[in-house]
Amino acid sequence: MTEIIRTANLVKDYSLGKVKVRALNGVDLTIGEGEFVAIMGPSGSGKSTLMHIIGCLDTPTSGEYHLDGVLVSEMEKNQLAMVRNRKIGFVFQSFNLLPHLNVLKNVELPLMYAGAGQKERNLKARQIIDSVGLSERLRHKPAELSGGQRQRVAIARAIVNDPAILLADEPTGNLDSQAGGDILEIFSRLHSEGNTVIIVTHDKAVANRAGRIIRIMDGRIENGDIAG
Amino acid sequence: MAISLAESLSVGLADILTRKVRSAVTVIGIILGVMSIMVVLAIVNGMNKSTLEWMGERGGLSKIEVHQNWAYDFSKGGDASFDLREINYIRQQVPEAAAFNPQTQLNPREMQYGELGYTCSLLGVFPDMVKVEDWPVKTGRFINQLDIDNHNNVVVLGSTTATELFSSRSPLGQYVTYTGNRLLVVGVMEPKFLQNQGGGESFGGENALEYMNQRAFVPLSTLLSKIDPNQRINSLSLQAADPESAKQLRRKVEDIVLDLKRGKRLFMVDSAQEQMEQMKRNSQIFSTIFVLIAVISLLVGGIVIMNIMLASVKERTREIGVRIAVGARRRDVFLQFLVQTVLITGLGGVLGIILGYGVLGGVGKYLKLQVIASAQMIWVALLVSVGVGLLFGTLPALRASTLDPVEALREE
Ligand SMILES: Nc1ncnc2c1ncn2[C@@H]1O[C@H](COP(=O)(O)OP(=O)(O)O)[C@@H](O)[C@H]1O
Ligand SMILES: [Mg+2]
Repeated sequence: MTEIIRTANLVKDYSLGKVKVRALNGVDLTIGEGEFVAIMGPSGSGKSTLMHIIGCLDTPTSGEYHLDGVLVSEMEKNQLAMVRNRKIGFVFQSFNLLPHLNVLKNVELPLMYAGAGQKERNLKARQIIDSVGLSERLRHKPAELSGGQRQRVAIARAIVNDPAILLADEPTGNLDSQAGGDILEIFSRLHSEGNTVIIVTHDKAVANRAGRIIRIMDGRIENGDIAG
Repeated sequence: MAISLAESLSVGLADILTRKVRSAVTVIGIILGVMSIMVVLAIVNGMNKSTLEWMGERGGLSKIEVHQNWAYDFSKGGDASFDLREINYIRQQVPEAAAFNPQTQLNPREMQYGELGYTCSLLGVFPDMVKVEDWPVKTGRFINQLDIDNHNNVVVLGSTTATELFSSRSPLGQYVTYTGNRLLVVGVMEPKFLQNQGGGESFGGENALEYMNQRAFVPLSTLLSKIDPNQRINSLSLQAADPESAKQLRRKVEDIVLDLKRGKRLFMVDSAQEQMEQMKRNSQIFSTIFVLIAVISLLVGGIVIMNIMLASVKERTREIGVRIAVGARRRDVFLQFLVQTVLITGLGGVLGIILGYGVLGGVGKYLKLQVIASAQMIWVALLVSVGVGLLFGTLPALRASTLDPVEALREE
């Protein structure tokens, strides 16, 4: 199996005034291409921090992070923007759709920053929206959609640029079990189509679908790299 | 992989359209600033042009006028008039003057032709009046030196005086009577016309120079010797060879007159050239002051815009975080906000120009003022409003583009 993510001794410190908070305390992690990984752990254990670094939204205080064979922990901001745009799809707990853009425009957003032309954007975005079952909602604003529908739009946005990894930080946390189940179905399908999926979750149902569970505690991985 | 300027424009425009009211409020300062710059400059331009036209009609820039000094305290004695001997003396002192016209004006009385009467002012003048005023006769001839020498009873009518008494018939060769004097009509002046400014409807309607058409002219000698021997000469006009020498000639005439009146400043001597220069200076000061006020209001408008945009950046922190998360670069975010600010101020500039045209149209029509809006002004207005956008959009755009995405996404 080709490895797509490899981290070595990742450390992330936050300073709250004079107090230093160590959110990650030496994370060594390897994830292979096409894996479906669930990250679990108590609140405040550093899951989101790890996801942000993996998603190139944040940089580690020290340690190395290779994504798809490239050392991204040393990259500067503009290069990181490119990586976020091309290699990473991020799904948040709170959806994070732009409220004044309709479904189509929200999904087109990564394509716009990728420099795609209007035609190509429109075509690709429609295809992806169709694949998450929201063809009828193209012109709806996020406020006119249910939570489950919003999260499906967010997933469509995350995958529209065909990223190397799909990251989701508690994607079902704000949904009822029915809608959460639908979202889980979509992640499973994406995994079965060959995508690498990493989900932070408290939900046993989600974890059960994953090929591997990584447990995190006080900024460290507990069960190391043992396959689940 | 950065998004193009066109893309930033469309994003910016979409932002403006979703926040119409706010954008409109934001831009009021710019609209008013641009509008006032336009209106003030157009009015000043128009006034300058009107004054030049007036001066052109009243004998041009080489003209020098000697008239009573309103500031002089006449209770100290002396009267602001000349007699013929003094006039002849002045004439001898200024051989370089291209034209020389002393004149005196009687209070309006009735001029009669047969049964008809028309109340008009009678002026005693020199043949040079046509040169000094740059005002030719239309038919017949003007008063000549022979008329002066012989105190001839001849009269030249202003165009209105002529039509009032003779309607369409030719007055030439006819006799009119003025305070009992029979006068032979030898000529009729060209009508004088200058569009009235500022709605001065009470005198002569549209024509600011109608009062000149309502006059009649006789030889100065005739008026003084036959029509009203008590009358004195109370004004004197000259033409210098050219506008450049007018200043020098004015000083010379001033000295001669002062000397003649034993140092009493009974008279003022003005030259059109200097008046025009003074007017230009005044209007420059005037427009500088107003443009300065407008620029200050633009800057205040810019500060308002900056604050609104800063608030907008704060309010849209999460949106910015999302854009960064899906791949927007610093530059993309920076451009998005800068372009949006420039679009708002540019649009404000356009609205200001349109509004300015509206106001100028109203000023031109209802206040009857000549206004001149130049294409250059429009470019300046546009540039200024875009410049304000660039100047005051930079800080908000910088703040937006340097947000930390993780922090931004945490924002509620
Ligand atoms: N921006 C920050 N400033 C200070 N401390 C932070 C910041 N972000 C996270 N932390 C701290 O780092 C630790 C890990 O946080 P996080 O990764 O969000 O945990 P989780 O997602 O597992 O709940 C927590 O103790 C949290 O308080
Ligand atoms: Mg978290």
